[in-house]
Amino acid sequence: MTTHNLPLTETITPADQAEVADAVRDAYRAGTPVYPIGGGTSLDYGARPTEPGVGLSLAKLNRVIDHAAQDMTITLEAGVTMAELAERLAAERQRLPIDVQLVRLATVGGVVATNSSGPRRYAHGTIRDYLIGVSAVDGRGTAFSGGGRVVKNAAGYNLCRLMAGSLGTLGVITQVTLMVRPMPETSALVICEVPDFDSAERLLARLVHTQTLPVAVELLAGPAWQEGPVMGPMLESSTARLLVGFEGGEAEVEWMVGQLRNEWRDLGVASPLIVLAAELGLMWDWLTGFSAGLQINVLPGATVGLIETLLRLDPGASIQAHAGNGVILVQLSSSEMPPTISSAVANAGGKMVVLSCPDGAAVIRAIKDRFDPKGVLNRGRTA
Amino acid sequence: MHSPLVKELRKRLGHQNVISAPSELAAYDCDAFTVERRPPDAVVLPGSTRQVAQVVAVCRQHGAPVIARGAGTGLVGGCLPVRGGVVVMLTRISRIIEIDLRNRMAVVEAGVPNIKLARALAGTGYHYAPDPASEGASTIGGNVATNAGGPHTLKYGVTVNHVLGVEVVLGDGSIVRLGPVEDPAELDLIGLLVGSEGTLGIVTRVWVRLTPDPQDYRAMRAIFDTVDDATETVSRIIAAGIIPAAMELMDRGILAAVEEAFHFGFPPDAGAVLVIEVDGPTAGLEKQQQRIVEFCRNSGAKEVLQAATAHERELLWKCRKLAVGAVGRLSPSYFIQDGVVPRTRLPHILRRIAEIGQKHRVRIVNVAHAGDGNVHPILLFDERDRQQVDRALAAGRELLEECIRCGGSVTAEHGIGVEKIEFMNRLFAPEDLEAMNRIRQAFDPTGWLNPGKVLPVT
Ligand SMILES: Cc1cc2nc3c(=O)[nH]c(=O)nc-3n(C[C@H](O)[C@H](O)[C@H](O)COP(=O)(O)OP(=O)(O)OC[C@H]3O[C@@H](n4cnc5c(N)ncnc54)[C@H](O)[C@@H]3O)c2cc1C
Repeated sequence: MTTHNLPLTETITPADQAEVADAVRDAYRAGTPVYPIGGGTSLDYGARPTEPGVGLSLAKLNRVIDHAAQDMTITLEAGVTMAELAERLAAERQRLPIDVQLVRLATVGGVVATNSSGPRRYAHGTIRDYLIGVSAVDGRGTAFSGGGRVVKNAAGYNLCRLMAGSLGTLGVITQVTLMVRPMPETSALVICEVPDFDSAERLLARLVHTQTLPVAVELLAGPAWQEGPVMGPMLESSTARLLVGFEGGEAEVEWMVGQLRNEWRDLGVASPLIVLAAELGLMWDWLTGFSAGLQINVLPGATVGLIETLLRLDPGASIQAHAGNGVILVQLSSSEMPPTISSAVANAGGKMVVLSCPDGAAVIRAIKDRFDPKGVLNRGRTA
Repeated sequence: MHSPLVKELRKRLGHQNVISAPSELAAYDCDAFTVERRPPDAVVLPGSTRQVAQVVAVCRQHGAPVIARGAGTGLVGGCLPVRGGVVVMLTRISRIIEIDLRNRMAVVEAGVPNIKLARALAGTGYHYAPDPASEGASTIGGNVATNAGGPHTLKYGVTVNHVLGVEVVLGDGSIVRLGPVEDPAELDLIGLLVGSEGTLGIVTRVWVRLTPDPQDYRAMRAIFDTVDDATETVSRIIAAGIIPAAMELMDRGILAAVEEAFHFGFPPDAGAVLVIEVDGPTAGLEKQQQRIVEFCRNSGAKEVLQAATAHERELLWKCRKLAVGAVGRLSPSYFIQDGVVPRTRLPHILRRIAEIGQKHRVRIVNVAHAGDGNVHPILLFDERDRQQVDRALAAGRELLEECIRCGGSVTAEHGIGVEKIEFMNRLFAPEDLEAMNRIRQAFDPTGWLNPGKVLPVT
């Protein structure tokens, strides 16, 4: 919990959306910041706000409004925890296939606001891909909604996409509707030791043409990954570990595991470790629980090269890459970030490339000015 | 003789790339929504992103609306120049720049027809998943602008799930590039641009995500006595945790059309047909197929055909693919609607559609992406008879209202354009529309990009 990172004068706990709107309206009139608080697991995400303001806890907005199991959708208030959501869905053999840390604390609203994701985004995407309806209160205290309750909807602008990942800067999310998926019958992880970075790239490039359908492609390096559940310590001679996840029907997963072994054998990987369903829960938790200080996004093909550079700049760093997506999570060895890292990232191809208007920043500013004219919401969290 | 606007455009693009003769402009007075027509003041054919940016800047100086246009297959009048202005054809900007398998993406210009990309990818082991039925003509830019879907969205998602990056010309003539690395550092502007129907920017280049080709397929076709039996089957399949790649429903009316045109040999009393396909590793398909066949039989299917070869699979899909075209044989004009309801309301909405057809004396036949609850009622009429046109429009309106009443929406994949703009007030509260208006103003403060579309004037 990192709530205390926020400069809170007080914390209030509204009981419903109307009370959220009242609170924001008051703050709007007074011109003071409001800091929405879900489970408090990601409040250090983004820049650290400094201006004192009111904490707005969504803890009481914790109702599941409608689980339309047959329609594969669920509508719930923003304060419902991810653990409760998972339990509800599990009762119908369904799930939201998004890996989230600290599920007992993390709330749905917070997960949407940060567009959380984890290892299985390789096949399942991020929560953005499941959000089909959203209600929020903007920085003037006005409630608005976007999307609806149907899984496919082309009416009007996609406010769901806009709110997902907006870090609470456009509105306090109060309610969401999510599309859900059936629980897979089984799953497995196939793991190998990677002697050097050239091999890592060779394995990853080969995975592009695998006959299997991985749900996760994880490359792990550094001291944080030396010890882990089930697998035993990383070999002295290894530079990294590669983990490939599968989900699906029993026969399908069994075939994919065998197939990947064959494909890897041709690349000189003799005996990969196979982790099967019974032990997998632990493994996913472990893979999802990595605490990183930095997230870097590059094209998938630039992942290995950049990791190599990062480890040269900070040999003590630990790294988790969702390598199939080009997402690199970095735990630096000290709190000081080597200044050379940002230029290394830029050299590997940044997030947004600019032609004549700086990366859409003008549009982003313009949207924020219109949703939150006084900068009430999460002031200081983003530029 | 020529307006200053046309002169200026000619100076920038060359004489041959600016159309202004009224006789030629008539060809651009509508898209596939033919009920309303109005020619633009000019049509331009830029050859590069820079030229698109110049056109937008010139139009802005002259206060002329800018309407992006791809193949013009849009079904809601998105390309209609409601207030005149300049239609910007993207069809000359149509190179496939790169197929980058290592990064599982392709870089294509906006004017590339969907099918051209599909062909370029054939044999690579990858494909671009969104495959609207208009894929033979519609452009990737148009698909992005309308967030196009197709029969495979249940498992694979719609266009927005497959766009990694865009290059876009904004209303002020600036060129912005977003992506293609995943996770925008800030707001998801790509997610806003996809489906914005040319009102937030003109897309000139797209980085699309590529999807691995399935190792194998199993296609089935089941014939039922009633629509309810068919939708019951769909429910059972979903409840069993199976996500087919496609689950297409055709009702009695469309079957009659198909039968009349192509003689597939459907029994005359068939009430509904489901075409179901599962795909993935071969190892998992046998069991899924068995279960689906069992569900079909348990729900009363009189016949379940299972394709044993690639050729049989093609044949089996053929009746679905030819269905809409077959309607042309039944009626001089027809109009494809697009509505969506929570999937469990499918039996209800199909029943209501039939009643609404009777009430307005309009023949309505249906195809549906059943797994998504997405219905495409096809309304038959004769364009030359104004009364018939009006009755068809009234029936269309009423069935969309019913979709809203069921907790659904007036469009799952075609968009709002001009055709559905009247429904926006019913679907959304004033505050919701206000939020959307803010987005539009943020992107395009002067409002020259495709005015009169998507959002009702406030
Ligand atoms: C027979 C038939 C079957 C169809 N089947 C499907 C289907 O299965 N699924 C489906 O989703 N749709 C379907 N459609 C509808 C239509 O084909 C899609 O909406 C398609 O995406 C439009 O592409 P287009 O290139 O023709 O765009 P256009 O019709 O030219 O334009 C459509 C809209 O997008 C805007 N636009 C076009 N290009 C750009 C650009 N580069 N930048 C910004 N804005 C732009 C236009 O201003 C307009 O508002 C079908 C249409 C027909 C006629």
